[in-house]
Amino acid sequence: MRAKYVMSEVFLGLWRNISMTVAMIITMAVSLTMLGAGLLLYNQVDVIEEYYQTNLEVVVYLDRNIDEATTEQLRAELEASGYAAQVQFESQDEAYERFKDTFEESEDLVASVDPTVLPAAFRIKMNDINDADKLIADFSERPGVYQVTNQRDILQQVFDILGGAQRLTLIVALVQGVAALMLVANTIQVAAYSRRREVAIMKLVGAPNWFVQAPFVLEAVFAGVIGAIFAFATLIAAKFLVIDGEFKDLFSLMPPISMQSILLLLPILTGISAVISAITAWITLRFNIKV
Amino acid sequence: MNVFIDKGEFVFFIGPTGAGKSTIIKLLLREEVPDKGKISVGDVDVTRLRRWKTPAYRRSIGCVFQDFRLLPNRTAAENVAFALEVIGKPKSVARRVVPEVLELVGLGGKEHRYPHELSGGEQQRVAVARAFVNRPLLLLADEPTGNLDPDTSIEIMRLLDRISRTGTTILMVTHDSNIVNQMRRRVIEIENGQIVRDQARGVYG
Repeated sequence: MRAKYVMSEVFLGLWRNISMTVAMIITMAVSLTMLGAGLLLYNQVDVIEEYYQTNLEVVVYLDRNIDEATTEQLRAELEASGYAAQVQFESQDEAYERFKDTFEESEDLVASVDPTVLPAAFRIKMNDINDADKLIADFSERPGVYQVTNQRDILQQVFDILGGAQRLTLIVALVQGVAALMLVANTIQVAAYSRRREVAIMKLVGAPNWFVQAPFVLEAVFAGVIGAIFAFATLIAAKFLVIDGEFKDLFSLMPPISMQSILLLLPILTGISAVISAITAWITLRFNIKV
Repeated sequence: MNVFIDKGEFVFFIGPTGAGKSTIIKLLLREEVPDKGKISVGDVDVTRLRRWKTPAYRRSIGCVFQDFRLLPNRTAAENVAFALEVIGKPKSVARRVVPEVLELVGLGGKEHRYPHELSGGEQQRVAVARAFVNRPLLLLADEPTGNLDPDTSIEIMRLLDRISRTGTTILMVTHDSNIVNQMRRRVIEIENGQIVRDQARGVYG
């Protein structure tokens, strides 16, 4: 009976104040979408780091017109330098094969590249990847060396971009989140005003505090959960339409964002949103309007 | 001021506006907490009552006001039942008790009327029924006849008198000299927060 009463009050309250309810749900959804995207990027950085950490190499690209003797000398010096755990030579043909494998889905790109453009290279597994800078300093000026690159530096740029995107999403999430919580507080105040007679009588006859507060708190929680579900739907849509759709090629450069990690966001976003909404509602009731 | 009111007594608090009569009601309901002094109801020390225990304490008190404070979108019966529902009494209890108490206050047959379909006196009877439905130890009445004509006021007083005979302590704040003079009950007169008169079987004076 009491549960029925509370639920009918919750929906009546949300309905009576429908424009505010919609505004509250929209701001929450935007905030949570951004939070979700931020969490996915955070996760993505971890995945990429783990994926590459064991495979990071320093690559010494050789001049295209290098002769065999210089190549062999370089190999010997690299092996003798003490930095390398393993030195592997990759000829121009092998480099082209690899290039074709990497971009096998972009046939136009492969077709447009002449096999002889790609340089031969030594791919070096380091004893300690932190020595990469020393190795680069030692070898980049040697005759026959075109360029020495540390894959970690390239990866670092990706991380910087991801990190920036992540910060941006989290800032938007925070700003929208603050707006959403203010709307929650406002909604609760309006709801409390429209139910002031009932509240006064309930308090007079000694209804327990939780019972007086429950409809208001649940209104906020309901809006929070709906907002989280919208946010989740938006992220799913983004996965299908943007990551696997429109911008597929761009995102194929990094490990895919798994469906699993998106699904995991549903309970996380719902939980965060419900708890924070409930706390905001309760604080509003307790300190602002003293229900 | 120092007052002791025995169980089952019927006491009028009178005095000019601003004397502190309504404050007594608020203190007894623990809507306000005094800076100093002590208020006890039964064996509950209201001044030291924890916030979360207030609802349980209020269930032992009934209260009626000058402005009735009924819910306009509920019938007489529903208004009374509301007081039971929100403190967790099962519906079966409400079904049994509500008609009884409405009969007691003289509203038999008008259970399904809405407040706007009832006269002021009848609305106050609903309010009394709601205050009494839990069989409180103490019934507080803050100028319950303030909005009623003299005849209706006397009917409400008869009702309160009947409730008083069930052993419920009644504490009534009023300006209505006629009523006080007719009832001949204990009168406590307050001025500037001080008791200036405490008389058994008193008149308005």
